[in-house]
Amino acid sequence: MRDVIVFVEHSGGQTRKVTFELAAEARRLADALGGKAHAVVAGSGAAALAQQLQNHPLDKIHHTDDPDVDKYLLDPFVDYLEAVAKSVGPSVILVPNTMLGRDIAGRIAARLNAGLASDVTELRVENGRVNCVAPKLQGSTITTCAFKAGDYGVITVRPNAFSAAPKSTGAEVLTIEKPSGKSYKMAVESDVEEASGELGLEEAPVVVSGGRGLGGPQPFETLLKPLADALGGAVGASRAAADAGWVPYSLQIGQTGKIVSPQLYLAVGISGAIQHKVGMQTAGTIVAINRDATVPIGETADLLVVGDLFQIVPALTALVQKAKAAHA
Amino acid sequence: MKIVVTVKLVPDPNAVRRIDPATKRLVRTGVDTALNPFDEYAIEAALQLKERLGPDTTVTIFTMAPESMKESLRKALAMGADDAVVLSDPALEGSDVSVTSYAMAQALKKIGFDVILSGALSDDGNTGGVPGALAEHLGVPGLTNVRKIEEIGDGRIKAQRETDTGYQVVTGPLPALVTVTMAVGEPRYASLKGIMGAKKKTIDVLSAADVGIDRPLGSDSAKMEVVAIAAPKSREKARVVEAADGASGAQAIFDFLRERKLV
Ligand SMILES: Cc1cc2nc3c(=O)[nH]c(=O)nc-3n(C[C@H](O)[C@H](O)[C@H](O)COP(=O)(O)OP(=O)(O)OC[C@H]3O[C@@H](n4cnc5c(N)ncnc54)[C@H](O)[C@@H]3O)c2cc1C
Ligand SMILES: Nc1ncnc2c1ncn2[C@@H]1O[C@H](COP(=O)(O)O)[C@@H](O)[C@H]1O
Repeated sequence: MRDVIVFVEHSGGQTRKVTFELAAEARRLADALGGKAHAVVAGSGAAALAQQLQNHPLDKIHHTDDPDVDKYLLDPFVDYLEAVAKSVGPSVILVPNTMLGRDIAGRIAARLNAGLASDVTELRVENGRVNCVAPKLQGSTITTCAFKAGDYGVITVRPNAFSAAPKSTGAEVLTIEKPSGKSYKMAVESDVEEASGELGLEEAPVVVSGGRGLGGPQPFETLLKPLADALGGAVGASRAAADAGWVPYSLQIGQTGKIVSPQLYLAVGISGAIQHKVGMQTAGTIVAINRDATVPIGETADLLVVGDLFQIVPALTALVQKAKAAHA
Repeated sequence: MKIVVTVKLVPDPNAVRRIDPATKRLVRTGVDTALNPFDEYAIEAALQLKERLGPDTTVTIFTMAPESMKESLRKALAMGADDAVVLSDPALEGSDVSVTSYAMAQALKKIGFDVILSGALSDDGNTGGVPGALAEHLGVPGLTNVRKIEEIGDGRIKAQRETDTGYQVVTGPLPALVTVTMAVGEPRYASLKGIMGAKKKTIDVLSAADVGIDRPLGSDSAKMEVVAIAAPKSREKARVVEAADGASGAQAIFDFLRERKLV
């Protein structure tokens, strides 16, 4: 286990910040292990993205714009990743902990007969072994796992847990050969966007989340969106809000939704059930607005303001906008 | 159509859970066992399919767990599943994702299936690695994060699967493995009749040898080991501000964000 491979998640060549975080982490690990840092980019737009990745501290960028990658579910991705992993030999594969990343991780681990560490927030090399730190049991325990040396290891990494470090190290750009003898069956007929712009919820520096306290879909648009915009962040939600159909499930934060680690998390009209906290408790600063002083979110928040969200949010948005205008 | 639902038996999600500092494994004794909450949605989806497709469709519950836990599957049978199978062997103790998915695949090949329904993740820790690995070992397509099965039959499936930004419509052949999200609908409660009927349903037990497992198993072959466990950093208690009105509440937050250089 010497080289480190980053799986690059993207949509038509547009990638997410987590890719650059993984590139920086791959460099650090590869240096500690005495190996090389690779990236694998597949699908339409891969060539342009491979160029862009040259601004990050990698050694080899493997890419393919094979249209099968976008036409069929998962398997082509896994095939290309497997092809690169096999050409490199026992290595560490870093995958973002996103919906797609989790799917890829289980599959590539089975193909390579590798160990799998999930939702990792810290990585260390000790005595030549890669150690993975991850919160478990709904955040109540932090575990450190080590891979057996000499095997492949697959790691899903939490977005925002690491910092990007853009730097060109003259990475070589290579095309990957199509693995032979593959035929694909699960066809993607259509791809529907329900929440454009939410691609970056996991990596937004600020998340303004709303819960059942918002009472309906409109306040997400009229109250939360302007506040999120003013703070340079994204809107999220509790499961109660998604279940009610007020927002798409893609905005849901928590155990069954997205796990976010922004610098600032604002919980508006959210009680803070354990399943919700799992998705946001590692945020840098947590502020809650709730009319009930005894809500569980109070145990996780840094500041709990007790009052009516319909009064507080617009006033807060105005204050932030005013401060920004004064600064500009 | 033969539907198999894979369920994981986990320590009661409402109980306090801890890891044994000596073995570094989750303490499972002395704690009630429950169905992984996410798997109840997979059971619900399976029962909806059975209603849709008629009496020729059967729903089998499958778990890999110590035999002593098998009675915890009665709840699934009471909800309406037809029977259950447990893969149980001391040689499987301490399995990680790679061993678990391999052993499950061996058992599922033996049981036979047209569709496997799984939860998207487990409440106690593997965070969704098993289904993908299982599909690989079985050599069947894996349709993950399905929120709605639009069509199924004649050897084909068409489904909507959630993505990070919306959903995709995907079609392909059966057999396949499908993981479902909570959007399939709230798991039904067992009726009294269901509970009574469940007592008579069969729960078969298979050993590793029964399913032709031919390689070393359990913690010896696991690819990873837990080397340390720790408590998370605790946060300081929240500052609580009672806001007299909107303006003062907003000011309190604004000042706090200023203090932390967040605005
Ligand atoms: C297996 C499982 C998985 C789950 N996964 C998730 C998950 O991923 N994410 C998730 O969020 N939940 C999840 N849940 C659900 C979770 O348990 C809670 O039910 C949910 O988070 C509650 O959402 P809420 O806080 O918006 O609603 P509530 O608990 O109803 O809280 C609403 C809050 O709004 C406050 N409020 C109301 N009006 C106002 C007002 N005018 N001004 C100020 N405050 C107001 C109330 O005081 C209350 O605290 C899961 C549950 C299960 C069983
Ligand atoms: N031991 C097991 N027995 C049966 N199903 C399992 C087992 N472990 C995991 N699964 C299935 O895989 C899903 C995801 O679990 P995990 O990968 O452990 O998070 C669960 O919802 C189950 O459907």
